[in-house]
Amino acid sequence: MDGFLVGLKQVIDALGATVLLPVIIIIIALVLGAKTGKAIRAGVTIGVAFIGINLVIGLMFTNLSDVAQAIATNTGVTRDVVDVGWPSSAAIAFGSSVGLWIIPVAIIVNVVLLMTGMTRTLNVDVWNFWHMAFVGSLVVAATGSLPMGIATSAVMAAVALFFADWSAKRVQKFYGLPGVSVPHILSVQILPIAMGVNWVIERIPGLRDIDLSTDTIQKRFGVLGEPMILGLVIGIILGLIGFWDPSNLPEMTTKVLKTGINLAAVMVLLPRMVKILMEGLIPISDAARTFVQKRAGTREIHIGLDSAILIGHPAAISASLLLVPIAIVLEIILPGNRVILFADLAVIPFFIALAAPIVNGNVLRMVIIGTITLTLGFYCATSLAALFTQAAVSSGFDIPSNATQITAIGDGFVWITWVSVFLTKALGYLGVAILAILTAIGIVILKRSQVDDAATDETPKTTSM
Amino acid sequence: MSDRKIVLVACGTAVATSTVVANSIEEEMSARGINVETRQCKVTEVPSLVDGVDLVVSTTPLPSNLPKPAIVTLAFLTGIGRDQEIEKIAGILTGKAAGAN
Repeated sequence: MDGFLVGLKQVIDALGATVLLPVIIIIIALVLGAKTGKAIRAGVTIGVAFIGINLVIGLMFTNLSDVAQAIATNTGVTRDVVDVGWPSSAAIAFGSSVGLWIIPVAIIVNVVLLMTGMTRTLNVDVWNFWHMAFVGSLVVAATGSLPMGIATSAVMAAVALFFADWSAKRVQKFYGLPGVSVPHILSVQILPIAMGVNWVIERIPGLRDIDLSTDTIQKRFGVLGEPMILGLVIGIILGLIGFWDPSNLPEMTTKVLKTGINLAAVMVLLPRMVKILMEGLIPISDAARTFVQKRAGTREIHIGLDSAILIGHPAAISASLLLVPIAIVLEIILPGNRVILFADLAVIPFFIALAAPIVNGNVLRMVIIGTITLTLGFYCATSLAALFTQAAVSSGFDIPSNATQITAIGDGFVWITWVSVFLTKALGYLGVAILAILTAIGIVILKRSQVDDAATDETPKTTSM
Repeated sequence: MSDRKIVLVACGTAVATSTVVANSIEEEMSARGINVETRQCKVTEVPSLVDGVDLVVSTTPLPSNLPKPAIVTLAFLTGIGRDQEIEKIAGILTGKAAGAN
């Protein structure tokens, strides 16, 4: 029996995400009650998606590493941590050892918290379980312990639900989405920062009275909202910085334009590949939704959805358009930063969307809050880059070991990721316990305030009106 | 085919929620014998892609004054009110078929 298990482990270790994850997905789909044919299709689709994502990451990595190196030699500025985009993070997370466990773990955490009345959110957004697995996979990279990674991911599932409950009323009111909350770690991370910064702005005469017109911004900066064009423009800008050489114009022009078109290609191809991953997950996500809804009972619950549903709001669009050039300036001027942003310039809307309900859609305030959060993010990402890269390699992605490191705004820029990894790395399971206790305290305080709210007849408590 | 209907499905990424919606629309429309093609995009890309489509379905707010019929719905994600939305989409697509040909 032991010999069999050892052999099995060898096979499993050698298979990697492209074969192992499909098998796990097929099993989970069957357990959750999907039909056999659908389950198999789902699993194979996910394996195919991984191969596609790996291809595009290869293309992007080659190009971006060249540009980053050229920039370093041409300007003397070291920006050797390359942003490979959240789609890569999602693939790393689902392809990691934690990713194999995350779907059942997050569902169990959700069901337990619902049954004990600790949350009101039913998280049907199975796709975004990757955020939780991502934090866990970095913990595994830092500590070498899979159980600790899974435990951290379980706490992250609770953290996501806590923030979703906390922001539910405001999200529902501001975005006009009754019965919905957003347990999306990349988006909820901004909530405490937004509340703090907004409190300060409220106390600054002059500044507190200014807002920006969303129409003008969208007209002037609208093209930055189209990833393909954004990729082209950013590629050309980065190319010009890296390959600037007026003495050899023909070669410079070729290199710059090639960088532009390659990066435009990445911006289009990377999401398409990840879409295949999503397609594979749909049967699981459908089955999981039915499974949890059946067990959630009839009490008032919020349906937890992807923050993608918030991104169309003019305030979110306008603020992120302005933050694209700001982020590029930040990455150049911030001392000690090593991150060069690329693919995730397109994810800024997700990074800031939940600031909108806090500041009542004031675009200027969202830009200020976004700038502060991005600044913090650059340092989180620089600090996490080695682990991020290591996690990618463990998940089977081809990253040359001696070259550039990688990161992404989702979720390398997220302070929650940094704090979790820092605590578990320094304190081990005590760190996981501290995270869990902090989350539990948050939940209890929130529950108290909700009881108060109900008593005072639900007066909306928007901080800025 | 000449009577193929094109539905542009938008969300924040063109990856996650729009894939759920697009798959549902494709399944349900082909079950009704409506020949439909879905295209996914980010909501910020809608204005430049809206020409040549028959209907826009989005999970997030759309720009106002689009030249085409548009539906913003979460029904495909939450499962609540899904059937009504499908009927509405089928109605728009078949109604157009009668008008256009």
